[in-house]
Amino acid sequence: MIELTNIIKRYEQHEVLRGVSLTVADGEVCVLLGPSGGGKSTLLRTINGLETFDSGTIRVGDVTLPAAAGPERELALGKIRQRVGMVFQQFNLFPHRTVLQNVTEAPIHVLKQPKDSAIANARRLLDRVGMLDKQNARPGSLSGGQQQRVAIARTLAMSPEAVLFDEPTSALDPRTTAEVISVMTDLAAAGQRMIVVTHAMSFARTVAHQVHILHAGTIAESGPPQQIFDDPQTEITRDFLSEADN
Amino acid sequence: MEHSGLLPNMFRKLLLLPAFVSLFVGIMPNSLKAYDALDAIRKRGTLIWGADQEGGGPFVYPNPENPEALVGFEVELAELIAAHLGVKAEFAQGQWDKLPDIMERGDIDIVLNGYEWTPNRAERYGLSIPYYIYELQLLGKVADDSLTSWDDLLQPVDGRPRKVSVLGGTAAQDYVEQFGKGAIDLALFDGATDAMEATELGLSDVDANLQDLPVWTFYGEGYKRLRPIGPAVGRGYYVVMTRTADTDLLKAVNEAILKALQDGSLREIFTRYRMWNETQAARGLETNSNGGFVGSLISGAQTQQELAEAEANSFEKSSGWAVIWQRGGLLIDAAGMTVLLSVVAMPLAVLIGLLIALARLYGPAWLRIPAAFYVELVRGTPLVLQLYLIYFLLPKFLDMLFPGMGLSINAFSAAVLGLAINYSAYEAEIYRGGIKSIPKGQMEAAMSLGMSKSLALRRIIVPQATRLVLPPMTNDFIALFKDTAVCSVITVVELSKMYYIQARSAGAIVELGLLTAFLYLAMSYPLSLLTNRLEKNLSQERRS
Repeated sequence: MIELTNIIKRYEQHEVLRGVSLTVADGEVCVLLGPSGGGKSTLLRTINGLETFDSGTIRVGDVTLPAAAGPERELALGKIRQRVGMVFQQFNLFPHRTVLQNVTEAPIHVLKQPKDSAIANARRLLDRVGMLDKQNARPGSLSGGQQQRVAIARTLAMSPEAVLFDEPTSALDPRTTAEVISVMTDLAAAGQRMIVVTHAMSFARTVAHQVHILHAGTIAESGPPQQIFDDPQTEITRDFLSEADN
Repeated sequence: MEHSGLLPNMFRKLLLLPAFVSLFVGIMPNSLKAYDALDAIRKRGTLIWGADQEGGGPFVYPNPENPEALVGFEVELAELIAAHLGVKAEFAQGQWDKLPDIMERGDIDIVLNGYEWTPNRAERYGLSIPYYIYELQLLGKVADDSLTSWDDLLQPVDGRPRKVSVLGGTAAQDYVEQFGKGAIDLALFDGATDAMEATELGLSDVDANLQDLPVWTFYGEGYKRLRPIGPAVGRGYYVVMTRTADTDLLKAVNEAILKALQDGSLREIFTRYRMWNETQAARGLETNSNGGFVGSLISGAQTQQELAEAEANSFEKSSGWAVIWQRGGLLIDAAGMTVLLSVVAMPLAVLIGLLIALARLYGPAWLRIPAAFYVELVRGTPLVLQLYLIYFLLPKFLDMLFPGMGLSINAFSAAVLGLAINYSAYEAEIYRGGIKSIPKGQMEAAMSLGMSKSLALRRIIVPQATRLVLPPMTNDFIALFKDTAVCSVITVVELSKMYYIQARSAGAIVELGLLTAFLYLAMSYPLSLLTNRLEKNLSQERRS
């Protein structure tokens, strides 16, 4: 269970998150939609501490992440980051390591897994995302879609309870977008809990269990995809969908 | 051929040098301080005397037949004094103007290197009775008919004042200033032969040179276009210096000089170097405290004959391949020291630089601010000053912190430390730039995988930054190679210092200069190639 309660975040005078509450159940695929600047990515990044917030609470399982900086927050973040993985828009693979080393880096050095089993597990995950044949390549020699699939394998290597996807296909062309969406769809089918910030409507419509429309720092509407796409309850959702169609 | 065995011999020495120097690395207790100097010298069995070979003949200079050995009247005088103390003389090289500091530091027992008696020095150091009465000789160009007397010096030529070259900070400078009262320009030089060379060539409009008479009698043969003008002037006294506290040592030195004055051995030494003259002889007529004459009396004819026999001991310019074969080995040895200083100092500089960069970028305020201050302080002060502070003041500081422990730092360690600190400021800035240019997403990705900041820095950020900073750092390494030359101020003899010593004593400025330049090039060119290669690799990596 991931539970966000009344999250408020300000940049100087401007409130980017204005009291957002959100619950993601185990095994749930949760998609955050909304116009640019609505606070989707910021909200996602508060969960694993890449962004701070000013008030409210975040709970991941039995760990509570306080807003105030200090040793308590650091301790909570250490635990949360081992349970919640993240996939970035710009992939952020480590360019000085091979594909395989990218995937084994954290299991070996953070989880202290034995090298052999970390490598075996990494190969299994690379195979799962269709990248095993590139295990010795450097990230720089891969296409964007290939890099993103490796990044997904890298995150999965930590056996996360949930994976945060921050616009995973926004930097990709349509063909490679399809590769990545297909991997994500497989993951969802396998019961992986994830929170996805995306503009890929088809993914939201077909894979999501729960869709939230984030607008101007608040959640305008929440519901299953059928409701959001076929029977939107608010003006904001309708405006967003019609603009997204164009 | 005698030369054929030389090269392999040079290389063997080059290989042995690091082992040799490593004996001196590290902080070692300074055994010279805090007890009776004369006792310590007798226990040690050596009298360590400091001088600068770069000053050249006839004081202390590399033996023309065997440049690895030293000759000069001060070498013989040091041996004479040491023999009187019942010990052996041991030479220690130091930059001339720093010799008193090196003595205060406790590295040498006495300074014996043409230091003049002055009231200032008499207040700060123990000064012996004079071992030589020197005079100054004005030298003009043979071809310059307009300059035949001291009075001519006061007459402007072509509407500008006459210019006289002198060694900076010596009695000669004072004398010209007193005599000219502003009507004569000065050109200050570091080396006696440089001043004569410049006068002979008329460089910077130099008209004349005021030179210590012993230097002129020794080197005169090599400067045929110069001639003495007027009588010798400005009499002064060369004295031995000790620390003020070492009164027993000073007393023993005085005894040795007086004895040598009376038994004629001082005269023999000076005659060998053509330095014995009427001024010295007249000193023998002075009375000592017992009412007797101070010196040995000797007929003028005998002196003339001895002086004539001593002709051979004057300066001969050597040149061409001969001088390179003869002295090249010493330059290669000294290049070994240059390499050693550089390869020990640079990794240290990079390591310190990395820590400073990390402190500035990620440290808490109490670390960040001092780190920034460190960079500005080190970058804003000259290397020579930093070396000086480390070598001369750090021991005093250590002594204040840990009194009685006798902690000190040897010259090689001080040189390495100084170079490392100086370059660490530059490497810190390079590293800071490198780390800052790593995309923010790298740190975020590492953190999102549960890495701590330090683990992320160690495994993700710093390795990437290091690849970026390698080319500029290799460039700095080349610069460091050349900056090692500054270490001669703290008695380290590296390639440049050895060049000055050998070139000035042999008069082979061009030949040895070319060899020295070649050696520097041989050291830096491979590094330039490496920089190019690293840059090429990096740009290829980024393109793919």
